[in-house]
Amino acid sequence: MGKVIVVTSGKGGVGKTTTTANLAVALAKRGRRVVAIDADIGLRNLDLVMGLENRIVYTLVDVVEGTCRLNQAMVRDKRVENLYMIPAAQTRTKDAVTAEQMEALCGELREAFDYVLVDSPAGIEAGFRNAAQGADEALVVTTPEVSAVRDADRIIGLLESMGKSPLRLVVNRIRTEMVKRRDMMSVDDVLEILAIDLIGVVPDDDSVVTSSNRGEPLTLGERSPAAQAFRDIALRLEGEEVPFAPLDDGEGKGILAKMKKIFLG
Amino acid sequence: MIQLKGNGGRLRCVIPDQIPDGELSQEVRRLAEEGEHILRGSELVVDFESRRVTLELMCLIMRELVIPLELKVVAWKSIHRESLELLKSAGLPVEEIPARPRWEGLLPALRVRRSLRSGQRVEHRGDVIVEGNVNDGAEVVAEGHVVILGRLQGLVHAGSGGDEEATVCARAFEAPQVRIGFKVGSMGREDPWWGKAVTVAVEDGAVVVSQWPSA
Repeated sequence: MGKVIVVTSGKGGVGKTTTTANLAVALAKRGRRVVAIDADIGLRNLDLVMGLENRIVYTLVDVVEGTCRLNQAMVRDKRVENLYMIPAAQTRTKDAVTAEQMEALCGELREAFDYVLVDSPAGIEAGFRNAAQGADEALVVTTPEVSAVRDADRIIGLLESMGKSPLRLVVNRIRTEMVKRRDMMSVDDVLEILAIDLIGVVPDDDSVVTSSNRGEPLTLGERSPAAQAFRDIALRLEGEEVPFAPLDDGEGKGILAKMKKIFLG
Repeated sequence: MIQLKGNGGRLRCVIPDQIPDGELSQEVRRLAEEGEHILRGSELVVDFESRRVTLELMCLIMRELVIPLELKVVAWKSIHRESLELLKSAGLPVEEIPARPRWEGLLPALRVRRSLRSGQRVEHRGDVIVEGNVNDGAEVVAEGHVVILGRLQGLVHAGSGGDEEATVCARAFEAPQVRIGFKVGSMGREDPWWGKAVTVAVEDGAVVVSQWPSA
């Protein structure tokens, strides 16, 4: 019986879809059977970030409306064994799927997969509730900005009231040099407010934008710090104890900067 | 300027002699607009002080304030002899019954044994103790005192029924605004109390912040 994990945030644009795609690939590369569901009906993105947009025939809405069978809507990723994606419908709205339908769908998928990752839409309305309904646990993604943290706090309160557990935090797009200048909240600042377990810290990295545009999740093979951060999150989801890597602070003190110094002089 | 004051569980609307007759209509409408969220449905004492009360003024107050905002006027006060006679002869209540003491009708203190997250709200007819943080976007509304044993970043309204003797205590104070009775206090990061343990209270009509516990 697999785990159903909703990836959510409250605020839009903080990296839910990127996190979902990268974790799905990282877990599949470890040999797990993984399906990622795009629950952002009307504003689908996961297909683009995973590079599967050209192979969509049916969508999540087609499944719940009985237009197709579940396995017909699942798009298989040919680059990684055991990785599938169920796309959202672009021409429908959030109310095209009910919470009960999502719960039934997740229940069916958990029988066949080790991980069901649900990419939630932004907001706290029906779309979020539908996405979270069938999940056991949640990954809350935030960036170190006060607006994103406040929205994450709101979402955590709602997830707690829905009985989801555990709730774990991904702090995305951290920039150590800005934190040092006190121009950005530190991970500790964020944790002090949100008070849930930290599962990963993803540094701000240009490679994330490049990989999204190419439809090639970083965890397919990229060696950037962000790629490693997502791989570490996948390991922690699997229950492994992975220490948090020190981040490059932009002043030559991080691991990568030190290695660059050695090789480049 | 027409003043609105909190007084126990009710409001007092003072219409002083200094406002010219020609500006009264505009002033009453301004009060109705700006004070609607506080006034609507409340008990009100209308105090004309030494102002002469005319039929037009009474009609204006009824038309713009009392009827649209569903107010219950518990007393019409005046120290102007002829105006007082006019109010009495119209059968209106002119003697103010004392407002209920602040402790009357209040419930035992509510103990909140967790932090309040953004979007969560606690409302209580009495004192409230929060054994955690009140995060940005969370709200505590209490008719009595409020004590936050963690960090206060959200909104607290103590003495929400109009009691300006209510206080707010927080172990780490980081809230841009605190409300006590009908008063609002604003604070900023640059203030010396920011992040410190403080008591917020109303003194001489102003919201003041001081060290908590007091030295």
